[in-house]
Amino acid sequence: MMMDRATQSEFFLNYTDMSVLERQRAQLKYHHPGFDSTLAGFLSDSSMINGGEFGGFMGASGSDFPVIYGETATGSDSRLSISPDNITTSATFGSGNFKKRKFNSVVTESKGCNAKKVMMNREVEEEEEKSKITEQNNESTMTMKDKSKKEQSNCSKDSSKVTKELQKTDYIHVRARRGQATDSHSIAERARREKISERMKYLQDLVPGCDKITGKAGMLDEIINYVQSLQRQVEFLSMKLAAVSPRIDFDIDDIFAKEVVSAPITTNLPNTVMPSHEMVNSGYPHEMVNSGYLHFNPVQQVVTSSDPLSCFNVNNGQAPSMWDSDVQNLYSSLGV
Amino acid sequence: MQPTSSMKEEFLKKWQMGLEIVRPSIDNTNVSERKKAIKLSADVAMASLRKGTTCWSRALIQKSATEDNFLVRQVLSGIKAETLINKKLTKKVVCHRKIVRRSKKISRRKSRSASEEAAAKAKRIVKKRTQGLRSVVPGGEFMSNDVLLLQETLDYIVSLQTQVNVMRSIVDAAEAEIER
Repeated sequence: MMMDRATQSEFFLNYTDMSVLERQRAQLKYHHPGFDSTLAGFLSDSSMINGGEFGGFMGASGSDFPVIYGETATGSDSRLSISPDNITTSATFGSGNFKKRKFNSVVTESKGCNAKKVMMNREVEEEEEKSKITEQNNESTMTMKDKSKKEQSNCSKDSSKVTKELQKTDYIHVRARRGQATDSHSIAERARREKISERMKYLQDLVPGCDKITGKAGMLDEIINYVQSLQRQVEFLSMKLAAVSPRIDFDIDDIFAKEVVSAPITTNLPNTVMPSHEMVNSGYPHEMVNSGYLHFNPVQQVVTSSDPLSCFNVNNGQAPSMWDSDVQNLYSSLGV
Repeated sequence: MQPTSSMKEEFLKKWQMGLEIVRPSIDNTNVSERKKAIKLSADVAMASLRKGTTCWSRALIQKSATEDNFLVRQVLSGIKAETLINKKLTKKVVCHRKIVRRSKKISRRKSRSASEEAAAKAKRIVKKRTQGLRSVVPGGEFMSNDVLLLQETLDYIVSLQTQVNVMRSIVDAAEAEIER
């Protein structure tokens, strides 16, 4: 029974030792990826040294093996449960002091060597009691040495092992990246929002009466209104031109020649978006359009009701009399 | 970003060209027809200012090309008119995104505080307004994202202001001519 347990513990110990070595290597590789080969050499050397130490400890005797066994068992069991980064420390403090898991990697590495020595001591003690186990342990140490040699010689195997380990860590790293990915998403989202707010600021400058409104929805509302008012103004102006057009046709080039001269003059006045005098008085786009409608009402009165001008029927009736007479005069002069 | 005088002059030149082309329809039809022709020529002139670099101008050119292909071709002479007219504006289908959004909605519906509710409401309103803006700006439904939409809106507003300015000054000049 004791034998079995002892062998079990040995296997555990060997396993943990190997795992310690490998994990150390992996960790070192993880932290210093450039020094792969040298590290491999160093680690194999260290394992050799440990083997030698183990030989030297053969003569020493152990007293409380079962306690140690229990400790190692708990250590190995705990190793099964906890994450790989903490194994070495847990193995070091096999007596159950798991609070020190939180040590950083450098400490872990340094403790890892100590852990190996401790393990070797325990192995030695066990081997002192049972010779068979000693043989087995020798074999195991031999296999360890062989393994280390193999590792030294077969760099490809070693690298593949390490890459496997690294893949493990890489997976963790990718998971970390997944967190980062969401972070980058949020960064992109923030950049997009900044862009939008910048455009909104420009629009605020461009659209009159928009600078007093806070909030995106209100601003969008105002922008929509402004664009629609501008579109309606174009509609209205083209209508007006259509009404005046027979005359324009006659001396269109004349007017254009005049306009080319006069257009820069109108643009030199920065704030008069609407050069027309009655439009300048009304500072708001809606009012502009409405005044446009008012302005256009007389024409609607003149033209027959079946005309598509009925869309201008808003604000019917109360047109300024001067415009009324004006446009009527205009129309009578045109003879439409 | 007020409309510049150079932009106005260019627009005037283009518009004059367009008016020359549509003159027959101006001469011998009723007011509404004339108005339509004038507006079309003005729109094409405005759209041709951008030389097809913006989404709204391309959409406007395509729309007016269905009404008066010859006019558009003439005004756009020099610019690759054919490619602009025949260029298919592809509406991007974002079906998968909708599906994702729907699934998100379902998951979110379970736990919602008052502030989240308000934020969702504001978001919905902004979305609605954005859709409204899309319908107002020509070719707005082809603009894939909000940033592009706002950019195009900026450009469109400046162009519209140019158009309105020039047209207004022309109308004023014509009226002054008549009053004399």
